[in-house]
Amino acid sequence: MDLEFSDTQSALLDSLRSLLARHAGPARARQVMADGQCDRDLLEALGAAGFLDLASSEGAGPLEAELVVEEVARAAGVVPAGPRSLVAPMLTDQHIPQVVAICEATDRGPVRFAAAADLVVVLDGDSAGILRPEPGEIPPVDSPYGPAMGYVPRRPPDELPGVSARTARLWWRVAIAAEIAGRLGAALDLTVRYAKERTQFGRPIGSFQTVQHRLALLHVAVQQSTWLARAAAWSGDEETAGAAAALSSETARWGSVELHQLTGAIGFTEEYDLHLWTMPLQALRVELGGLARHSHDLVTARWAERHERVR
Amino acid sequence: MEFGWSTAEVEYRAAISEFVEAELAANQSNVGISGVASRRSVGRSFDFAAKLAERGWLTPHWPPEFGGSGATAWEHIILGEEMWSRGEPRGPQYMNVNWIGPAIMVAGTAEQKDYHLKRISAGDVIWCQGFSEPDAGSDLASLRTTAVRDGDEYVVNGQKIWTSYANSAEYCFLLVRTDSAAEKHHGISILLTPTSTPGFEIHDIQGIVGEHAFHHLYFTDMRVPVSCRLGPENEGWEVVRRALSYERVGSPRYARAAFMLDEIARWARAEGKLSDPAVAERLALARARCEAARLLAYCVIDDRNKQRPPGPNAYVARVAMVQADRMVGELAMEIMGSEALVTNSLADEQFRSALPAGVAAGTLEVQLNLVSRAVLGLPRS
Repeated sequence: MDLEFSDTQSALLDSLRSLLARHAGPARARQVMADGQCDRDLLEALGAAGFLDLASSEGAGPLEAELVVEEVARAAGVVPAGPRSLVAPMLTDQHIPQVVAICEATDRGPVRFAAAADLVVVLDGDSAGILRPEPGEIPPVDSPYGPAMGYVPRRPPDELPGVSARTARLWWRVAIAAEIAGRLGAALDLTVRYAKERTQFGRPIGSFQTVQHRLALLHVAVQQSTWLARAAAWSGDEETAGAAAALSSETARWGSVELHQLTGAIGFTEEYDLHLWTMPLQALRVELGGLARHSHDLVTARWAERHERVR
Repeated sequence: MEFGWSTAEVEYRAAISEFVEAELAANQSNVGISGVASRRSVGRSFDFAAKLAERGWLTPHWPPEFGGSGATAWEHIILGEEMWSRGEPRGPQYMNVNWIGPAIMVAGTAEQKDYHLKRISAGDVIWCQGFSEPDAGSDLASLRTTAVRDGDEYVVNGQKIWTSYANSAEYCFLLVRTDSAAEKHHGISILLTPTSTPGFEIHDIQGIVGEHAFHHLYFTDMRVPVSCRLGPENEGWEVVRRALSYERVGSPRYARAAFMLDEIARWARAEGKLSDPAVAERLALARARCEAARLLAYCVIDDRNKQRPPGPNAYVARVAMVQADRMVGELAMEIMGSEALVTNSLADEQFRSALPAGVAAGTLEVQLNLVSRAVLGLPRS
C-alpha cells in the first residue's frame, strides 16, 4: 500500500497535464461542444503520446488509465476517454479505433458520443458485443448534456467471444466514477476560487460558514469518489467498482446542484465555465442505469446468495 | 500509488482475525449497546488487553524501547480494523495506545516515560481524558479549570464533563489553566493525574448511548505534584494539538460500520428485502461510504507510515468516517422497521453507537471548518 504517486506516475501525469494544457481546457471544450462534435484532435494527441493504451501497456495498467480519465475530465475534455482507454482494452486485444461508445442494449435513451463513434460496445444481459456504425448511420441527438449523443441502431452486434458483460460493466463503472470525480473536482476548484473572490455584504462569500461547510462537504465527496475509482481500477474488484459508480453518481446528483447554487446566476451563463463540467455530469450519472442499477448490482455481488465474484 | 497488501500484512491480518474470532466467540461476540464503557466490557478489556500485550499486539506500532514491537502504521490499522469491527472490548485502551502514550513519548520526563509507557503497553491501566468543561466544548482552549502553583504542587479547582471511562480510569490526562492572564492557547498545562487524588470527584451521567459513557468530574483544592506535569508549564496546548491529530483517525469506526452493514444486509436478505430497490440503494451507498472512509483513513495512515506529521487529510477522513457510521445507523432503522426498536437489535446497536460519532473527539462542524481553511484555503469568517 502506497497512496502517493510513484515517480513514474508523477512523470506520466506531468506530461499528460502539459498535453491537456495545449489540447484541452474550457475554451477548447466550449468550441467543440458548440460544434456538436467529439474532440478527435484531442484523442489524436492523447493517442499519439500513448495515453489511451496504458491499461494494457507494460509498466502501466488500469490504475494509470484511470488517472488519465480523471485528468481528461478535469480538463473538460470532450471525448469518451473512459470507454476508449479503460473499458475497450480490458475486453479485446484487437486494435481499438479512436472514438468508442458503450451502451446497454436494454437502455432506450441516447448514448454519449454514439453519433461520433467508430465502435460501440453493446452489453446485453450476460453477453458483450461490438458494433461498427457506418458513417452517418447514427444521427446526433440534440442534448444540453453533451455533444454527439445518438441512438444506437438495434441490429445485432458482433459478439465478443469469451467476454463477460459483467467484466465490461465493472470497467465501465470505474470509468464513470473516474470521469465524475475529475469533472466534479475541477468544478469544485472553480467554485472555491469564485467563493474567495466574490464579495457580498462587504466580505468574500467564502468567509460565511454556511458556504464553507458546503464546499468542505463537496471536497470530502470528491475525495471519496476519487479514491474509490482509483482503488477499483487498481484491484479490478467488482464491488469496489460498484461502490465507486454508486457514490459518484449520487455525488454528481447533489454536487452539481450545490455548485450551481453556490455560484449563483453567473453559473447559468454560457460564458462562465461551470456548465462545461456540470452538464456532462448529468449524462454520466444516468449512464449504465445510474444509481439504481449500480446499487442493484453491488448488492447482488456482495450480499446475494450463491453469487460468484468477478475480477 | 498501489493498493496492495504485502504477504506479511495479509498474514498479520489473518492471525489477528483468527485470535479475535476465537476470543470473542468464547466471551460472546458483541459488546452490545451496554457499550465499551460498561463495567462488563471494561472488565473484559483487562483480560483481553493482557492477552494482546503478551502477543505484542497492544502497542505494536510503538518503538521497542517503550514496549512496542516496532510494527508499521499499516499493521496498526489492520489490527484496529480486525478488532474494532468485531466489537472487541478494548475501547478504553484506544486512547492510551493511540495518543496518550505517544504524547508521553514526545513530552514526558524519563520517569513519566518509564512508569506510564510500561503500564500502557502492558495493558493494565485505563485512562480518561479531562478535556471538555461545561463551558468549553468545541472551543476547548477556553477551558477554565485552574491549577495554582503552591511549592511542589498545583492546587486544582474546577470541573470536567462528558468524560468517558472515568469510573474505571486510574489516570486522567487533565488539561488545566496555569496562567489565566495569557492568551487562551497559552497558559494551558497538562497534569497526568491519578483519579484517586483527594479532591477528585466522579459523578456518573445517565445517557442514551451506553452505560458509563459520560461522567462529570469535580476538582476541589486537589493537590497534584508538579512532577505529574507533562511538558512545559503553560505550553500544554501544542502537545494536545498534536495528540488530537492522531485521535481523528483513532478507532476505525468505518470498519465497525461495514461489519454491521453486512449483518443488516444479511438480515434484509433473510427477510426477502434485498430486491427492494429502495433498500438496495441505501445499502449500496452505505457500503460505498464505508469503503471510501477506509481509503481516506488510509491516506492518513500512509502519511503516518512515512513518519510525516499529521496533515489536513485527517480532517477529511474523519468527516467521511462520521458519514459512513451515521448512514449505516440510519438505514438500519429504516430497513428493520419496528424490529429495530428492541434494545440491542442490530439497528439499535448501530444507531446508538453512531449517534455520538460526529460529536466525540471533536465535532463534525469543527472538522468542516478545518477542511475549509486548511484544505480549501477559504478565509476566516
